[in-house]
Amino acid sequence: MPETSVQRCVDGVGISSLCDWDVFAFVYRHVTSLISTEHIARLVGYKSKVVGGALDRLERQKLIERSRPSRGVRLYRVLDSKDAERRRCLKELVILSESRAGRLELVKRLSPVRSDSIGEEEPSAESMN
Amino acid sequence: MSENVVTRTGIKGLDSILLGGIPRTNVILVQGVTGSGKTLMGMEFIYRGITQFNEPGLIVVFETNPDKLIRDAAGFGWNLEELQREKKLQIIFTSPQVFDQELRSSDSLLLETASEMGAQRIFVDGVGLLTPLPGSVNFVRSGFRELFQQLIESLNRENLTAMFSLEAGNASDSKATVEMADFLADTVIELGRNRRGRHIQRSLEVIKSRGQDYEAGEHTLQIVGGRGLEVFRRVQAPLRAHSTQPTSDTKQSLIGVDAIDSLTGGGIFEGSTTMIVGVSGVGKTVLSTQILREGARNHKTRGLLVSLDEHPAQIIRNAKTLGLDIEAEVADGTIQIMFESPQELDIDAHYNRIIQLIEKHDIQRMVIDGMTSYSTAIGEISVYRDFFHAIVAYTKQRLMTAFFNYENPEFLGISSYMPDFPVNSIVDNLILMNLVEINNALHRCISVVKSRGTKHSFDTREFAIGQGGISLVPLEEDVVPAIALQNYSSLLGRAPTRFSLPKRINGAAVQDRA
Repeated sequence: MPETSVQRCVDGVGISSLCDWDVFAFVYRHVTSLISTEHIARLVGYKSKVVGGALDRLERQKLIERSRPSRGVRLYRVLDSKDAERRRCLKELVILSESRAGRLELVKRLSPVRSDSIGEEEPSAESMN
Repeated sequence: MSENVVTRTGIKGLDSILLGGIPRTNVILVQGVTGSGKTLMGMEFIYRGITQFNEPGLIVVFETNPDKLIRDAAGFGWNLEELQREKKLQIIFTSPQVFDQELRSSDSLLLETASEMGAQRIFVDGVGLLTPLPGSVNFVRSGFRELFQQLIESLNRENLTAMFSLEAGNASDSKATVEMADFLADTVIELGRNRRGRHIQRSLEVIKSRGQDYEAGEHTLQIVGGRGLEVFRRVQAPLRAHSTQPTSDTKQSLIGVDAIDSLTGGGIFEGSTTMIVGVSGVGKTVLSTQILREGARNHKTRGLLVSLDEHPAQIIRNAKTLGLDIEAEVADGTIQIMFESPQELDIDAHYNRIIQLIEKHDIQRMVIDGMTSYSTAIGEISVYRDFFHAIVAYTKQRLMTAFFNYENPEFLGISSYMPDFPVNSIVDNLILMNLVEINNALHRCISVVKSRGTKHSFDTREFAIGQGGISLVPLEEDVVPAIALQNYSSLLGRAPTRFSLPKRINGAAVQDRA
């Protein structure tokens, strides 16, 4: 994927931080997930609050949709955009991020992850339901 | 079983093993070792349900990345993404704990999703991961057993036909889990991944299935690229149709040569089985070609030649050099040639392909050339024998005329017809083709040693292979002018002895000096 296309796609999809991108990529790859925020956080390696914030932003940007909560879990899935260009860009960026070189390309273009966002937390009561 | 009370899997060959399908809402457990095809079976169960029977479905995974499932499915030509867009399929990634709590919850998101899309099938991949959390009520009580029971109850309430995959490991806790799940599930299918020599063979066995009969035993399972799974019924399984075996009084010429028909007592019966025994190079394949050519040209019967030794092109070329052109018959489908390499031959699949060809082309004359290659390819004598019995039973049921070539390995004298495969009692006719050494030349001879229901000749006759194929050498002709064939005995023993005359000098008999 040419560098100019990467930048155009990043700008077009509306994701600005690496953390938001990682959470989006998780939801994208898992098609439909029935899962808690804490579980996503454990799998992507960020703190729950950070993932929760990312999920909120992704939902506001109409990139993902989530169901009502049920005992601490929700159904998450990528919202099928009507914009064909946006759909194509998201798919290409997910493919790009699967290689180390591609991920480095994204790291250059997205705001970095703060060091205090990374790491595991003690499981909350909600996640133990 | 009527169609509305069974769930058809849609997996090629499996529904016939299950005699139509699985009773609806039976909980199906697919167990097996890593790499035996469990996930693929579950995916195909859902995919075929949607595409063949219009039954939407859910796939629940705990460990596998769903996008990898979609990628793998695409390799078989299954477009799961499109089915998801059409709301006929949902692949849901979750944790075993969430899945457990969801099925017990009155406002379950999972069951709500299933209901919204009208799901009728569900596949849960890796049900062995349903381990209760330490400290939970389930953990204190009977653990996996109770969880699994709850799971079955919940899915039954939703009227979903469920298939679960379960990894069968060697650890004692894994064995206990499998035993418990086997007991609770209604239908248990075991997939095997077995090493045969240096190659891998997959198998499928229905261990139990409540409310129905099925084909018991270990069948062959294959993963076919671009299509999916295919199950081949084991050849040993007896035919289910028990109609009376048909017989015929009609005789047909073997190869259209009167002299040879006179040896068999005027031809052979339709629907009979004939074993042609002979050493290598005696002319068994030539005879086979003539048999099929005669059938196609003069009896309007479609023929099939099955070979593990020679490619069709080579068979056609060799026949042509003898003036036995079968190209036209092969081109128009009157004669079918099926070649399969004996390397890693899977006998269930091979048998199935023969049967499919016979039924598709309405074959009435068949030659298997030759049985010895099967012995080498199959290895196990019992499986080899089962294959032979199965094919004889099948051809008899269809009133087909079948010929089997058997290469006798005893070049220097035949001590038995079929030393490593004594099945001559099963066939109706036995033709022996032999090489006989006279002076310093080999001569081809033919004898009919058995022909049921016929007064056949026991004469051993010399035959020749030339343009037009096999022909008998007239008795009155001295092929070896100096000493005629009739002057020898022990021809079948391949150590012929000439009746000796005393040496004479000036008209008087004299004794040879040592």
